[in-house]
This record gives sequence, C-alpha cells and structure tokens, in this order.
Amino acid sequence: MNQGRVVNQEGETTVVDVASNFGEFAVSLADFARATGWQLKPEGLCIDEICVPIREANRLTDGASIDLVEFARVTKQNIVFDRQRQVAALGERADSRGDSMSSLLAPDFKLPDIHGRQVSFSDFNRRKRLLLAWSSW
Amino acid sequence: MALDADEVAVREWATKEQLTMPVLIDKYHVVADLYGIVNVPAAVWVDENDRIVRPADSTPGSDLFRDFSNVDSEVHHNLLRKWVRSGERDLDDARVREFQVKPSPDVQLARLHRRIAIALRERDQDGDSLASREHLTRAEELAPLDWTIRRGNMPLVGVDPFGDEFFKFVGEWTNAGRPGFKLGTGRVKK
Repeated sequence: MNQGRVVNQEGETTVVDVASNFGEFAVSLADFARATGWQLKPEGLCIDEICVPIREANRLTDGASIDLVEFARVTKQNIVFDRQRQVAALGERADSRGDSMSSLLAPDFKLPDIHGRQVSFSDFNRRKRLLLAWSSW
Repeated sequence: MALDADEVAVREWATKEQLTMPVLIDKYHVVADLYGIVNVPAAVWVDENDRIVRPADSTPGSDLFRDFSNVDSEVHHNLLRKWVRSGERDLDDARVREFQVKPSPDVQLARLHRRIAIALRERDQDGDSLASREHLTRAEELAPLDWTIRRGNMPLVGVDPFGDEFFKFVGEWTNAGRPGFKLGTGRVKK
C-alpha cells in the first residue's frame, strides 16, 4: 500500500491507501467509503438509497480494496488518475451533467468561506440567491 | 464564490472591499462544473424553490472592461433588480435551458486534470511542481477555449493573466468565434 489522494465530485480530498497489487487505482474498502460516499454491499455499489448491481465483482474488488477505475465505469462517472503520483479525481460525465442542468434544479454544494467555515448553498434556501462567480485571475 | 486556487488573494480582496455577502472559495471549480460556468465574472439566478431561473452568463460588475467585453453591465443589474423586487423574470424555463452552456466530454476531463493538479500543488506544498504542470497542460489541451481552465491556469504557472500569453489566448478564442456563454446579456455592438 502507498499513500495517495482522491478528489471526489464534491471537491473533497481524502488521503487513501492505494493498493500496489490490484487494479489500476485501487483503494482500501474503508478508504473507498470515506473518499466516495459509496459503499460495497451484497446488493452492489450503493449510495443513499441507490444501488448499482455489479456483474464482474472480481474486477472491482479483491476483498481488501476497490478499483476506482472499475467503480467509475460501473457507476458511469469520469475518473482521471495519475498512478505515478497516486492521485485520482472523480467527476460527472458530460451527458449526465447536461441532464442535471436541464432539470433546472439548483444543485447544492458545500465550500469553505474566507474564514475557513464550511458553507452550503442550501444554508440560504427559501430565498432568492444570486450565485456570482469571480476570481483573482 | 471565487473560482480560485489562490485562497490568500481571495481573502485579501474580499476583506479590502469589505464584502457583506458570503464569499466562498472554490479551488476545485466544483460550482463551475455544476452550473456550467466557463468564465468570470458570471452570475446564475436561483429562486426560492431551488429552481435555476437564469443560466450562467457574463455579468460584469461595472463597465471597466466594456471596450473588451462589449457588455453594458447595467442591463444585467436592471434585470436583477426587477426580479428581486417583483419576481419578474426575463427568461422562461425553455429559454433558460436554451442558453445553458453544457460541457463537452473533453471539458469534463479537463476539469478533473485541473483537480489533480491542484491536489498535487497542495500535497507537494511547493505550489508549482512539474507533476502539477503536466496536468494543467493536459487540461488546456482538452479545453483550449475555456477561460476557467486557460486563463485560470496562468497564475498557477507563473504567467501574467494580463500579459502576452493572455492576449495570445484571446486571439485564439476570437478566431474560434468567441465560444462560451450563449445568452449575451447587455451585449453592445462596437
């Protein structure tokens, strides 16, 4: 095992153990749940109330770790990883992002403010919100 | 919400300007991904029922860069005032969908390469590792006309975001027909 990092869809970074002898970018079972929010259960890969069945379990897991590349394939997410530097990033595919945008439902997110406090967009629900994007560059 | 990996710069400016709104730092550009934001400054309107009632579009705070942007900033301000006061929108749902900027598969991958680059900068704590640069470069190859990638990368690799590289990028972007936001709020003819 080597120490690595996973950045998930929500932009949260988790330090993980990366398996050296299984998969393309496999992390331990405990780290998998912490990093992704998903869990491996008898019925498949699950998040909240949703479970995705697994057809080729031996490609996904060796019992000790889960390959994030296979996980991303099964759950239809994007993954980019740098095996040498032990960093992986998970994200939404273009088609599903397009679909969620078309729903016109404003997705929630959680980010640190300039004082380091975690703030959710939903902290301001039930009122009109102007979401302004700017930058220093 | 600042699309910015430079937390210090964001904090300094927001403090200097004494902003009263919540100021969030989105170093991984999560909100850019969620709401289809391809440049700054941009605004999205969300109503009391969590519905997007106006898609991301260029919305300058003033006319400081009007000669370059060809945008009259007051047009958006006036539409915004009207919506806040009366709830009257300038776009219906169909028009909101029509003017959303949906990502290409390559842009989504570019965003992930950028995230890896930012994670590497944090891990290596030298702010500018070779590995980080490799992923920033890959992101630019995948999304050569996205400002949050191309221009956002510039300070990360020590390039002046108002220098020669920037104007070279603007040239490429102009030759490609200035792709990006589709709505064009307050656009003026030169």
